Amino acid sequence: MKQRRIPDPKPLFVERMNKLITEEKDREAYWEISKTEPQNSIRCNTIKISPEELIAKLEARGWKISQPWKNYPEVMIIESELKPGELGRSIEHLLGYYYVQELSSMLPIVALAPKENELFLDLCAAPGSKTTQAAAKMKNTGTIIANEVSLGRLSILAINLERCGALNTILSRKDGRSLCKNFKELGIEFDKILVDAPCSGEGTIRSSPQTYIIWNPRTIRAMSILQETLFVNSFEALKVGGEIIYSTCTHAPEENEEVIDRFLKKLGNRIEVMDFELPVRTRPGITSWENKEYDKRVVKAKRVYPQDNDTEGFFVSKFRKVKP
Amino acid sequence: MIPTINFFNSKENKAFLEQLKEQFGITKLPGRVTKIGKEKIFLFAGNLEEDKIMKMQKLIPIERIGIYLAKEFEREYRLSIEGTQILKDQITKNVIELNEEQKETWMMGHELLMKTDKKGFVIIKYKEDMLGTGKASEEKIANFIPKSRRLKDKTIEK
Repeated sequence: MKQRRIPDPKPLFVERMNKLITEEKDREAYWEISKTEPQNSIRCNTIKISPEELIAKLEARGWKISQPWKNYPEVMIIESELKPGELGRSIEHLLGYYYVQELSSMLPIVALAPKENELFLDLCAAPGSKTTQAAAKMKNTGTIIANEVSLGRLSILAINLERCGALNTILSRKDGRSLCKNFKELGIEFDKILVDAPCSGEGTIRSSPQTYIIWNPRTIRAMSILQETLFVNSFEALKVGGEIIYSTCTHAPEENEEVIDRFLKKLGNRIEVMDFELPVRTRPGITSWENKEYDKRVVKAKRVYPQDNDTEGFFVSKFRKVKP
Repeated sequence: MIPTINFFNSKENKAFLEQLKEQFGITKLPGRVTKIGKEKIFLFAGNLEEDKIMKMQKLIPIERIGIYLAKEFEREYRLSIEGTQILKDQITKNVIELNEEQKETWMMGHELLMKTDKKGFVIIKYKEDMLGTGKASEEKIANFIPKSRRLKDKTIEK
C-alpha cells in the first residue's frame, strides 16, 4: 500500500472516530489505512464490452487484473503499479469500456439491484458512477432519471453518461428537494430510487486527504438537515412496493443513523427497513451516539470501514414503501 | 438556457435513417431520436412514454435525453464515438480501418495523412474498436475526437 504525506486530522475528528471505533487494534488499523491511497479499482462497462474482453485488452497492456467479488465479474482491481492518472488516460477508458470507481462506491447499486425495464431515479447523480452502474445492470432498458442540481457537476455527469453509452437516461437539473413534488404532479412513480446524499465525505479520506482540512462539525449538522429533506421528499415519488437506498460516504452518525431515525419517525408505518447483502465485510448501524438513542431498526443499515476491506468508507441503508 | 426536447416525427425519422443508410449502410435505430438545439441528435432507448417526457419538461429542466448520436451538417450526419459503437453491427459503408500507429495518432486528436478512395464522412475503426467519425479529403482524414476523449500526446513536452 502506498503511503504519502497527508494533512493532520482535526482533534475533534480524531476524537469522534476514536469513539466510533472502540477497539484499539481496529482503531490503529483505521488510522494506518487512512494514510494510504485506495486500490485502483474499475468497473467494466458491460453496456460496451464483456469483462472477459476487457481483461484481455488490459492484460495486453501489461496490467495485472483481479476480480475481488465472485458474483460481480465486472468489478476489477488493477494490481500493477500505475503512473498517476494512467487509469483515466488509457484508450479503453476513453472509449468507455470501463469506469474508474472506488469499490465502496459500487455498493449502493449492488444493494438496490436495479432490473431491466424499471423506472429508476438517481437523485444526486453526478459524477455518474452509480448512474452508469445502474444503466449497465438494467442492460440499457427501462428509464433512469439522473438528476443533478449543480451546473458544473452536471456537465461531468453528461460526459460520463455519454462515454458509457447510457441510452436509457434522462438528465435533469433541479434541486432534489423540490424535484419529487413535480414527479407526484406528473403521476410518475419510481420502482427504485437512489439517494446517495451529499455529505461531509469522511469516508473519502484515502482518495481526498484534503477532507481532513475542510472537515468541520457545522457541515455535518447542515448536511444532516439536507439529507433528511432529500430522502423524505424522494420517498413520495416511490411506488408502493418500490425500494429506496439512502447512502453516504461518511462515517458521521448524524448524517447516517440519525437521519434514518428522523425519517422513520416521520414516515411511520409507510416505510419498512430492509435487510440486504453486500459482497464486503460490513458492520451494523449504531443505535446510540452522543447521548441520543436511535430507532433500533437502524442496525439493518451497513457501515463500511476502510480497514475491513481495503476500500474507502461508506454507509448504505435500504427501505421499501409499504403504504401510499 | 435549457434546451427544448423534440422527438423526431415519422417523416423526420425516415429522412434521418435514409441518410444514415446512404452514408454508412445503417437501416435501423435502437431507440427514439431527438434533436437538441439546431444540429445535435440524441438517441434515447428508455421506455418512458413520450407524452410523459413532454409533460415533464414543462416542470423539470431536462438537459439531455439519451446520448449524443450525431451532428447534422446540411443533410449529412457525423456520428459520435458512441454513435459508431452503438451502430457498429450495421455500419457497412465508408469505413476506414487503421493500423496501430494510425490508431494512436487518431486517438491523440490528430488528422491522418493518408490517401483513401473516399470523400466526406468516414467511420474510423481499429480491429473491433469503433473510434468515431472523420472527414476524408484527397490526402487526409480530419479528426473530430473531442478533447476529453483524446489520448495524451506523447510527442508534446510538458
